[in-house]
Amino acid sequence: MLATPCRLLGWFVCACVALGASSSLLQAADAEPLTKRIDRLIDAKYSGPRAAQADDAELVRRTYLDLVGRVPTVAEVREYLNDKAGDKRTKLVDRLLASPEHPRRMAEAFHAMLMERRGEHEEWTKFLTTAFEKNMPWDELARHLVDPRDDDEALRGAAFFAVNRLSKVGQQETDYPGLTRDIGRLLLGKDLACAQCHNHLFIDDYKQVDFQGLYTVFLNTAIRTDEKFPAVGENLMTKPIEFMSVFEKKPLATGPRVPGLKEIAIPAFAKGEEYLTPPDRKTKQMGVPKFSPLQELARQITSRDNRAFRENIANRMWWLAMGRGLVDPLDQMHAANPSSHTELLTLLADEMLARKYDLRGSLRELVLTDVYARGSAWDAKNGGRPEPATYATAVAKPLSAEQMYHSYLAASGPHGENAHDAKALRERFTKAFANPPKEPEIEFAPSVKAALFLSNDDEVLRLTVRHEGNLVDRLTAIDKEKGADAAAEELYLAVLARKPTTDETAEVAELVKKYKDNRPQLFGQLAWALLSSTEFCLNH
Amino acid sequence: MTRRRSANHAAASAVQHSAFSTRHLQTGTQHSPLCTPSEHRLSRRKLLGGAAVAGAAAVGGSLGLVDMLAAAESGAIKKKHKQVLFVWIDGGMSQYESWDPKPNTKFGGPFRAIPTSVPGIHVSELLPHSAKQMHHLSLVRGMCTKDNAHSSGVGRIQRGDPKNRGVVYPFFGSAVANFLGQGPSGLPPYVLIKPGSGGFLYQDAGFLGPKYGALAFGDGKPPENLLRSERVTTADDDLRNDLRRRANARFALSHRAEPVEAMDFVYDTARELMKRGDLFDEANFTAKDRERYGAGEFGRHMLLGRKMLEAGVTFVKVTSYGWDTHGDNFNGHANIMPKFDRAFAAIVEDLAERGMLDDVLVICLSEFGRTPRINGHVGRDHYPEAWSLVTTGTGIRRGITVGKTNELGTYVSGDEYDIGHLFHTWFAALGINSKGVEYDNHGQPLPLAHDDCFPIQELLA
Repeated sequence: MLATPCRLLGWFVCACVALGASSSLLQAADAEPLTKRIDRLIDAKYSGPRAAQADDAELVRRTYLDLVGRVPTVAEVREYLNDKAGDKRTKLVDRLLASPEHPRRMAEAFHAMLMERRGEHEEWTKFLTTAFEKNMPWDELARHLVDPRDDDEALRGAAFFAVNRLSKVGQQETDYPGLTRDIGRLLLGKDLACAQCHNHLFIDDYKQVDFQGLYTVFLNTAIRTDEKFPAVGENLMTKPIEFMSVFEKKPLATGPRVPGLKEIAIPAFAKGEEYLTPPDRKTKQMGVPKFSPLQELARQITSRDNRAFRENIANRMWWLAMGRGLVDPLDQMHAANPSSHTELLTLLADEMLARKYDLRGSLRELVLTDVYARGSAWDAKNGGRPEPATYATAVAKPLSAEQMYHSYLAASGPHGENAHDAKALRERFTKAFANPPKEPEIEFAPSVKAALFLSNDDEVLRLTVRHEGNLVDRLTAIDKEKGADAAAEELYLAVLARKPTTDETAEVAELVKKYKDNRPQLFGQLAWALLSSTEFCLNH
Repeated sequence: MTRRRSANHAAASAVQHSAFSTRHLQTGTQHSPLCTPSEHRLSRRKLLGGAAVAGAAAVGGSLGLVDMLAAAESGAIKKKHKQVLFVWIDGGMSQYESWDPKPNTKFGGPFRAIPTSVPGIHVSELLPHSAKQMHHLSLVRGMCTKDNAHSSGVGRIQRGDPKNRGVVYPFFGSAVANFLGQGPSGLPPYVLIKPGSGGFLYQDAGFLGPKYGALAFGDGKPPENLLRSERVTTADDDLRNDLRRRANARFALSHRAEPVEAMDFVYDTARELMKRGDLFDEANFTAKDRERYGAGEFGRHMLLGRKMLEAGVTFVKVTSYGWDTHGDNFNGHANIMPKFDRAFAAIVEDLAERGMLDDVLVICLSEFGRTPRINGHVGRDHYPEAWSLVTTGTGIRRGITVGKTNELGTYVSGDEYDIGHLFHTWFAALGINSKGVEYDNHGQPLPLAHDDCFPIQELLA
């Protein structure tokens, strides 16, 4: 890890390049760290009562869930609680960001965000994992999504983003409008779906030409059938797309265009000169045109002229860390739905650009703010709970299916290598906890399906049956050696990453007395109850 | 006036697919034109006058109407637990081949009309069993709605097509689950029995939130993991859930209550459902019932639907697919209608026999009807302009027809009813005053159904 001064210097270099010499001078004079500037802007907007800062236990759990996608183990919680160093929080964050579990967490979070449970593919997983392992800048990652390459084995799986949406499933036709819409939603923060046939009726900023300018690029693509891995090809684009509003029958046209930017000119080539590789009718192989609208679009979407691109990712990273977008919903960025903290979004978006879309670095800043470390508990004596947009309390985030899976195993384990079929179990967790396809996972949505899964799935129940070294085994041994109070502490640290309250300890002690004949069974029940509790299912 | 406009609609629909953008245009520019025909305004004014005379003066204009209509109701929700059977015919049942036959006319098709148990009411010969139950049923033949696309129409109809307020309205099932709750059974308030896969369809709930979504039993099968593992005894299950509840209660002391409530709700519901695994055991269906309902998919699903109603589920929806007869409409309906007829007639008969029609509201509809015009593939296309649905049960007058179409069935003559009218009517039938009660969507007050529509009085008992 770079030492902090180096890091800061690095940003300033970026900032100079990005903003020009005069503004960099300004920045140097105003050398307030980003975390402080964020907190200042949050505090400036709200002065009412707010929750106490999270204690070490709450913060360590939150940090593990956000950065490595699981709850900490008992040893990890204890280590943090016992650490007396003043910079232990920074050290924890840097250690987690450097651990191999971090890219996995990011790949899982971005899989859920980008695919919205449409499906999985090993090439796609490889792409995301590779990207986050090397902390690929977001603009580069986004270019792969728009214009996937086929010549890099580790990254070509990016094409699954488009291929999945363009695949015919049952009666569902190739979804070009859906792909267009998702590029708008996920890369620009704009849901242009309603602007396909006319200017948006309620959102003045969303014009039909915005949709059509993106649509024409994707309409020109097709799934390639000459490769086994997901791949898209392009047809020859020779003229702008023609369209008209269903309200106003006036013929309109546009070439490829990013909303708010200039139309991309379609170059003309002499007959026979259009292709780098001409299409082959015999093998039905698509050609490679000299003019690639996908490539141009990818370049323009991620260009510095496109403010929406950096605001979108700044807003999404904020949401990932804080549980609520500054612009909410995430895909409704437009003038009539401004950021709850306008200046803050501007700052974060500018920093994104200045830091060259360094996602790991930006996440690091966010999780080191005071606002990230706000407590989630609210004392009713202070009146009603403040609105989420004030960030006066931490906003509880639902655990994703993947976070549930990793956390359930971490909390109830350790389980031996061969204790269960990890892939199958993971798939079952996903089936039980993931949203239906195409539903963004934003809200906490407990379901009867998930309740039945945790209650009755045999593989899940086995996790809270005593076997060597797992939680129930340890609880049984600790109870025998040190008594029920110590067992209660181990239980609460393992599952909820905190020490039990006096009442909770008393509850365990009383039960231990009552069920003295079958304590492993009792500890299994206690573990199951906490693992099925709301407190466990939320990242609070 | 009405006649001319409707005739235009019929003409437009003759070229169904190319007419899509035209329809879109019409519905987008004129806000809900079909909801305020002059006849409606007239009758509305009359009612308002009546209300004023009746002395419901303290409330403003539209609420005057409300109070008068609500006078027949005893408060917002009646005492006895009401239930709903909602039969969804997905794809669009042809009104010609079902509830509104037009034999020997230009668009009538090959089937005859037959008399029913109610003198004067005829239905298609494809509905011989339902014809015998007609005295229990009411036909609404004046349906005129606004969406001829499946993708949007299915949701639009089931959400009651309210005025756009920038929110997603709940399906009728979710709305009823919200108002009537689980009732004494403790079972999920809104279940769906459908072909294919099951799961939890929380999108149905719209702004009401996931809790009011549908629990879907794919192919009538119980949800996964319904049966308690052999590892867990009843006593174990009670203990572990008691501990879970206590942990949740402690957490709720200092955290938002909603997530805790939602979690406890899904666990309680799951546990009630676990106790009723017997409902799904087809061995419990009698041979006679199986014969009466039909051995096919829809028959089995309707029979399971009856079991669910008997078990106390508040809202039971049964979906049938395969009604989108763009090609070969007549063979299609000849094949599928008997399966529907058998099962639908059987469940109506059973509910009537058990006295359950007094508390169960029965609704059977599609997202639209089918075109008068028979296309080049001997099919009928989508037609929202003039179609029929059938309803009965609690709060509904039985053995009548409401609204009618012209001789050719091309448009509604007289009062047209949009789905909003039916939503108001059904809410009223359930004892929910849809003109007096509002949803509270995080502080945003929202009417239960389309503001410009109202309950159809002649349909209410």
